[in-house]
Amino acid sequence: MDFRKVKDRANSEWEAMQRSDKIRILVGMGTCGRAAGAEDVLAAINQKLAERHIQAEILQVGCIGLCYAEPLIEVVKPGKPSVFYGNLTPELVPEIIEDYLIADNPRTDLALGTRGDGDLEGIPRFFDLPVLKPQVRISLRNCGNIDPENINHYIANGGYEGLARALKMNPQEVVDEIRESGLRGRGGAGFPTGIKWQFCRDAPGDIKYIICNADEGDPGAFMDRALLEGDPHAVLEGMLIGAHAIGAKEGYIYCRAEYPLVLERLRIALRQLEEYQLIGDNILGSDFSFHLKIKEGAGAFVCGEETALMASIEGKRGMPRSRPPFPAQSGLWGKPTNINNVETWSNVSAILQRGAKWYASYGTAKSKGTKNFSLAGKVIRTGLIEVPMGITLREIVYGVGGGIPGGKHLKAVQTGGPSGGFIPAKLIDLPVDYESLAQAGAIMGSGGMVVIDEDTCMVDMTKFFLTFTQAESCGKCIPCRWGTKQMLDILEDIASGRGRPDDIELLQELAQSVKDNSLCGLGQTAPNPVLTSIRYFRNEYEEHIKKHHCAAAVCKGLVKAPCSHTCPAGIDVPRYLRFISEGKYDQALAVIREKIPFPSICGHVCPHPCETKCRRGQVDEAIAIRALKRFAAEKGNGLWKAKAKMAAATGKRVAVIGSGPAGLTTAYYLAKRGHAVTAFETLPEPGGMMRYGIPEYRLPREVLAEEIKEIKSVGVDIRTNTRIGSVDELFEHGYHAVFLAIGAHQGAKLRIEGEDSPEVIEGVSFLRDINMGNKVRVGDRIAVIGGGNVAIDASRSALRLGAKAATIIYRRTRDEMPASKEEIEEALLEGVKIEFLAAPIRIERGNGEVELTCIRMELGAVDESGRRRPVPIEGNEFSLPFDTVIAAIGQVPEAPEKLGLPLGRGNTIQVDDDTLATTREGVFAGGDAVTGPATVIEAIAAGRQAAVSIDKYLGGSGIIDEALATPEEIETLPELEEGERHRISIPTLSLSKRLCGFAEVELGLGEEMAIEEAKRCLRCDLEEDQ
Amino acid sequence: MNVATPSEIQERRIDTIELTINERKVTAKKGETVLEAALNAGIYIPTLCYDPDLKPYGGCRLCMVEIEGMRGLVSSCTTPATDGMVVHTETERVNRSRRITMELIIANHHGDCLTCAKNQDCELLKIGRYLGMEQEHIDHLRKSTQVLPMDKSHPAFIRDPNKCILCGKCVRACHEIAVVGAIDLAFRGYSARVATFGDKPIVESICKSCGECVARCPTGALTPKWEKPPAKEVKTICPYCGVGCSLYLGVRDNKIVSVRGDPEGSTNKGSLCVKGRWGYDFINHPERLKTPLIRLSGVTRQAEHNGKVQEIFREASWDEALELVANKLLELKQDYGADSVAALSSAKCTNEDNYAMQKFVRAVIGTNNIDHCARLCHASTVVGGIAAFGQGAMSNSYSDFKKTELFFVIGSNTTECHPVIGSIIKRRVKFDGAKLIVADPRSTELGEYAAAKLCHKPGTDVALINGLMHIIIRDGLEDKEFIQERTEGFEDMRQLVERFTPEVVEEITGVPQADLEKAARLFGEAKSACILYGMGITQHTTGTDNVKSVANLLLLTGNIGREGTGFSPLRGQNNVQGACDMGALPNVYPGYQRVDDPAVRMKFETAWGAKLSDHPGLTVTEVANAILRGDIKGLYVMGENPMLSEPHLEHTRQAMEKLEFLVVQDIFLSETAWLADVVLPAAAFAEKDGSFTNTERRVQRVRQAVLPPGEAKPDWEIISVLAEKMGQPLGYHSASQITEEIASLTPIYGGVLFDRLDHGGLQWPCPDASHPGTSFLYQDGFARGRGKFHALDYIPPAESISKGFPLVLTTGRVLEHWHTGTMSRRSNVLSELNPNGVVEMSPSDALKLGLIEGDSIVVASKRGQVEAPLHITEELPPGVVFMPFHWHEAAANILTNDALDPVAKIPEYKVSAVSAVLAVLDRATQDNAFLARLAENPAEALKEYELTTEEKAALMSGDIRKIESWLGKLDERLKTWLMLRLSQEKW
Repeated sequence: MDFRKVKDRANSEWEAMQRSDKIRILVGMGTCGRAAGAEDVLAAINQKLAERHIQAEILQVGCIGLCYAEPLIEVVKPGKPSVFYGNLTPELVPEIIEDYLIADNPRTDLALGTRGDGDLEGIPRFFDLPVLKPQVRISLRNCGNIDPENINHYIANGGYEGLARALKMNPQEVVDEIRESGLRGRGGAGFPTGIKWQFCRDAPGDIKYIICNADEGDPGAFMDRALLEGDPHAVLEGMLIGAHAIGAKEGYIYCRAEYPLVLERLRIALRQLEEYQLIGDNILGSDFSFHLKIKEGAGAFVCGEETALMASIEGKRGMPRSRPPFPAQSGLWGKPTNINNVETWSNVSAILQRGAKWYASYGTAKSKGTKNFSLAGKVIRTGLIEVPMGITLREIVYGVGGGIPGGKHLKAVQTGGPSGGFIPAKLIDLPVDYESLAQAGAIMGSGGMVVIDEDTCMVDMTKFFLTFTQAESCGKCIPCRWGTKQMLDILEDIASGRGRPDDIELLQELAQSVKDNSLCGLGQTAPNPVLTSIRYFRNEYEEHIKKHHCAAAVCKGLVKAPCSHTCPAGIDVPRYLRFISEGKYDQALAVIREKIPFPSICGHVCPHPCETKCRRGQVDEAIAIRALKRFAAEKGNGLWKAKAKMAAATGKRVAVIGSGPAGLTTAYYLAKRGHAVTAFETLPEPGGMMRYGIPEYRLPREVLAEEIKEIKSVGVDIRTNTRIGSVDELFEHGYHAVFLAIGAHQGAKLRIEGEDSPEVIEGVSFLRDINMGNKVRVGDRIAVIGGGNVAIDASRSALRLGAKAATIIYRRTRDEMPASKEEIEEALLEGVKIEFLAAPIRIERGNGEVELTCIRMELGAVDESGRRRPVPIEGNEFSLPFDTVIAAIGQVPEAPEKLGLPLGRGNTIQVDDDTLATTREGVFAGGDAVTGPATVIEAIAAGRQAAVSIDKYLGGSGIIDEALATPEEIETLPELEEGERHRISIPTLSLSKRLCGFAEVELGLGEEMAIEEAKRCLRCDLEEDQ
Repeated sequence: MNVATPSEIQERRIDTIELTINERKVTAKKGETVLEAALNAGIYIPTLCYDPDLKPYGGCRLCMVEIEGMRGLVSSCTTPATDGMVVHTETERVNRSRRITMELIIANHHGDCLTCAKNQDCELLKIGRYLGMEQEHIDHLRKSTQVLPMDKSHPAFIRDPNKCILCGKCVRACHEIAVVGAIDLAFRGYSARVATFGDKPIVESICKSCGECVARCPTGALTPKWEKPPAKEVKTICPYCGVGCSLYLGVRDNKIVSVRGDPEGSTNKGSLCVKGRWGYDFINHPERLKTPLIRLSGVTRQAEHNGKVQEIFREASWDEALELVANKLLELKQDYGADSVAALSSAKCTNEDNYAMQKFVRAVIGTNNIDHCARLCHASTVVGGIAAFGQGAMSNSYSDFKKTELFFVIGSNTTECHPVIGSIIKRRVKFDGAKLIVADPRSTELGEYAAAKLCHKPGTDVALINGLMHIIIRDGLEDKEFIQERTEGFEDMRQLVERFTPEVVEEITGVPQADLEKAARLFGEAKSACILYGMGITQHTTGTDNVKSVANLLLLTGNIGREGTGFSPLRGQNNVQGACDMGALPNVYPGYQRVDDPAVRMKFETAWGAKLSDHPGLTVTEVANAILRGDIKGLYVMGENPMLSEPHLEHTRQAMEKLEFLVVQDIFLSETAWLADVVLPAAAFAEKDGSFTNTERRVQRVRQAVLPPGEAKPDWEIISVLAEKMGQPLGYHSASQITEEIASLTPIYGGVLFDRLDHGGLQWPCPDASHPGTSFLYQDGFARGRGKFHALDYIPPAESISKGFPLVLTTGRVLEHWHTGTMSRRSNVLSELNPNGVVEMSPSDALKLGLIEGDSIVVASKRGQVEAPLHITEELPPGVVFMPFHWHEAAANILTNDALDPVAKIPEYKVSAVSAVLAVLDRATQDNAFLARLAENPAEALKEYELTTEEKAALMSGDIRKIESWLGKLDERLKTWLMLRLSQEKW
């Protein structure tokens, strides 16, 4: 048959459809659409159209890539640009039909975008959406645009022109064209396709085969499925071209039986090809003949490996064999064979349609063209994407993907499925090409891309991939069969707290050995997740092994409940929440008291890391754990004291330097262990930062005083206004051990011109002055430099002191601000302005005011902390007038050098991680002095750790935990209440009452509120082990 | 000294390559792997999955080496050695990787070396020692907790998955050597293990029990149940079928404790079948004859024995027993003449035994009445082969099969009866692209591999082959040059086969014309073809014609006298070829020298110092009638069991009972021995020296491994002593002495001497001590000059089906048993694997007869009846039933027809007309004519008998309770049978 006739027929059908005055609705009916409910939506459309007697053409199309927005439809009203609607439900369908098709209201509230000539006001152009703008669609050129079951649609869009062209060329020219295009195998390894073809073409033999590897098996990967569902002919045309180039008369498509829609579409496509005589003997009148068979696989992952795939086609167990001989020499049935994957074939047809030069204009020098990815995991816009090679991971994750849901932090991106590796967030600016990914320890792979956020544990994630590869190993070679299992066993041990100190090294050794010794690609790449996770996240492994701690709070064997696991002090949150829900407040308090001596303080100011990991947060919103803690502390009476025990006096004396949360916690527990503890405080009142850093509107004095009273009540001798000159002195006075908890009270320097002006004051001392009751004067216009809690506290305090305006200057964006989210909220509410992406460069004094000159910043590459480094925009300076500038860019411990101990970064004291012991015998240190400025709860945790170490040092057992509450009877607990219930909103002081003084902003919870909120707890700690 | 020609040197250069392994220059053959190059150069590389007989696998990853210029480590077992390659086998990286791989194995290996049957032979242990494992390293790993159940279902071996390292040797041996595929890797990942289809116990699988897997297992995962490490090994030849596998018997404490295929065995290359691997416990069986026995006076041959020896016989000394035999034989000779005595020699005995026997009969007794069971299996081959080529033996060799492009297997269930050859054919077809035609009334395993499968009716072989030749000639595919230059009689044959058009042949044979055409083209177009056949060809009244037909087809296409071609009768017993060669036949002396040739007779008379009979003697199959006629009075049976192997056993029994004197010399009290006057205990194959000649004319050494039990002696020795007692000593003191005499009198064995047989034996003709033996015959000419075509018309079998006997019975062997079962049924493994004889029937016949699997049925012919359990199988076409003949409890030969081929005198075992009926029905109808009629034709019975309306109604409605009320209580099975029968009747 003459191709022109075919083409004309297809064109006229397509154009008729385009010109038609009928309404046309394209419904995404790929597997992703169907899974999201597209079939119901389609039924609703048909029903509604029938009901309203609207003549319309319905086109079932493949996935356009916006899986997150499925079910997705495109509505074409003649004479108008088409409109996309996403996340449809059968209920929304009548609305759209009524409003847009009948009443001509395009429903801008529901519309995603438009395409075609003209605009509709209020609706962006579809391909300008951030999800689509960075994409280049070559392989997926037709997906979502054409009816995949209509060959004419494909042909009208340039289809089979590549074949027609190839058949006019001699086969070697076709191979050369592919070589010139720079196309590399999209199955993962990236071998240049043209060279591969050349091998097979040059191999001696009359009978040759080509194979399309559609055995997509990576967990979370769906590129090939979507492509074959949406545009099967793009792949088939590629195969026909390849067969002609290589000299193959027979071919196979190997596709797993789990893809029924793909198989159906392929069968339809093959039938159409036969009908059009585009397959079979003497195609398009040439002497080229080609026959194609579909081989259904049974879903073994290893059958994606080419030699295993061929064994499977031959009817043998899908098991790889050693190469050489390579398939190009001896492949299927021992004949020269060329295998490419689905995406490669679809690129081949595009290259022959539009030329090698055109194709090579996309991508990088070594990685040409585009790459399909299935973007999945912790990313807002999941879906099938096609991006030019060389695009950065950032552009994919944040641009196309829209970032991480819930404002969580990106931890890593996993590419290449179980054979791939983890790329840490700090490499987010890595260009996506074969070489760069390989260098980072990952691989391109066939296109799986999983975004991982802070709530994912890397040990757990690695375990997941190993579980998969282990189960899918064919069992033929020992390293893969037993090596993957061994690694999995070790990972399982680590994840459940049975890790051994040398496990990381063992894992690395095993991984290397499995990589080196395995027979096929499966085994050779299976260790990649292990190796890259250790390479980039070794600390997580160490935490699991040494501290039995899983920072993401997911490892089942370690984590009873994510909240208590995340709490630095390990408070048994779910238990006290249950007591609250039962009205047993004193029991609740006793539970809290089992771990910390400052329940009320934490109830007021704890930054509650527990809430970020609360499981309820995955359902709707996290439980208000902090507020409930405050409630328990307020309502609970002294029941806890009944079971509290004091050990007999040991005769040992301990000096604690500093009476902040770390010092007092240590002092409290050591006193209870029978030691005589003296706490020395330089300032007039005990409490450290709790007393002198945190403003009163957050932590009322009485609350602090009350809890310090309990500390004293166990016999801790607190000596205020006492500065300790040296440790030696203490030992001379008969102390047996010393705990340094001197905090970090000294503000860091801005290191800019004009910093020494009297109008420039330092944040911590500013707060200290206020808290000491000193008269503090501020001007009208306050600038606060920094983005932490001190900056927020300073600006909010300044407003309370009468400042008219407070502006925070922060060099990054709100997402990167270290201050707690709710503090930022409150500050903004109170009128604090924040100037983001600005850094001060000098301060000049003028008449009674200062001029603060800042430079505009932009975010550049990611730095060590995993955040993007702010980079000054050259020449983009601006100046603002202020009366006072408060520098709040961080604190360091004050003069620790006098102690004669080795110091670390930011003048912090260096200690042994596990014992908090310094290099000096009997001297321990903890809290901000060791970690740099941190939180009260972290200081308490350090205090506990120090108490354990010091008690042991002094010959005690180190057991400081007590059972203060009555044990729960799990059987008698009331049933968990099902259903949606949102988090309570915590009552606060009205805005008008706030700024006139330092009255407490947050008000306590009422009893009913507290009980209702506590009942929202999902009790994950009671979950049975699987 | 050999001087290489320049072209040879050139060739050698091309074929060899040089590489460097561990700084040492090493030469290797092109195509060898790095591992092979290293091993051949004496450089050890540890490996668990490499086996020279199997394809490279690359599974264990212990043979990893570093090769300069190659990335990472490579498995030396899969990497071809190339010229100039630089290999390092012991670098730090290599050693570390091997250590870790070994540690992974150990972490997953359950079992204690001390209690492991493999112990000292364990490859894992050896490699572990070589690599030097450290406990500290191993302790770091997580020990697998998975303990899988053992499979102890097989009587011969245990499968313990916990000791399996998944090297895949067993799986590959099963697929690549045995070509059975009973096991494969199953499941994935950590759960991967070797399993049968459906993960069932091995005995429920298609396993043929050949033990190739067990022999190759490097660990204790597959271990024989009864084997022990031997104190010494003795190389000898398997005593079962005619393939002649070489093997080592392991001996300890005068017992056979192990068996190992001889990897250098020129016939079997280490392979064995189920019988050859596991079937030797009969040697130590308690029922072995240990002393001579003399029939108690007054106990007639008709006496029932019930297995109680002492009620029939008394033990006697050798002296007394032999004295008695000698006297009796002399007496008979004196009274009735030498021809009143006949002897049966044995295809199970050595050449030396047979030679001694025929010499004894001819020289001492003075008659040519000597024959043996070749008469019952390949007599027609000898006659037909001599007629066509001048020689009746297999013309080619197993080694020739490597060059054969097309195998035509007719009338041979090769994989059951000659399993090692069966596997060779399967390998050639499956892996090398050779083609196969199978012609057999039954669907055999080989049929599954056939490019053309012809299911012809039993006894229609001549018509079938004529049909093939018709097409070949019609299409001009015959080898005209060969016919012209090397044959005679073509024209007569051509004219005759003209009539055998495909239509005619389809009519006679039932083979569709298209299949016939396809097979003819395959055969005609093949560059080299051979025809393998068995008793399906020979055991017919037209057996000789059948053999000649085979010869015709070979001559027509020039497929004889060249490598890869040939005439391949597969001999049934271990030494049936040798027994024939030794002249244990009534018409020829050793080496087929005719007794009626005066010059030959003169030679033997001179050599043996005795007057010899000038006329051929009686064949086995003629002896019975001769006894009944009164011509034969005395019979000497050595190692044969006519009471089970003869056709029409009732007739044989009558003859035996009429004998005046019967001597049986055997290793067990066979069915025949129970009838004897004197029983002489003989040594089994493992207890004596000598030689066997296998089906490819290869003479191989049999060596004594253990001492005979009690007073048992080698057959030749017994005969020697007897001859002495009869006054004509043979004068033999050793087997080798006999061999020398054979060589001196038998031109084709002229160079066959013990000291030449140590390495693979010799194939006759081997005329002198420097001759290397002959691998294939007729290269330069046929033994009779020109090859002769025979024009052969189709003659139907002697017996055809009738109303009373509507089924054709064909008989044969099963894999696990052999001959009359004297040996195989006394092997625990073999009898457990296949405990009882069955009657096989097609599903459609079974349905017609209302029979179900396992029914006890009575099969009857004109000559008698037997009862046996039924096995329904698709392997049989409708109208044909099959019975193996190994079981005396259900002796198939009670039924078989004793009609003989007129020339070869072979009986027609393969076609008998029989009936089959449910046994309980058969018994019930014997004394109930109405029931018999009812079973036969219910509607007619209703008419013939006067029945009440109520009775009629009960019959028509199948109301079994009412029927029982007047017929009496019926057997449960009979009830269901009857109800089914009545329900099927169209009244």
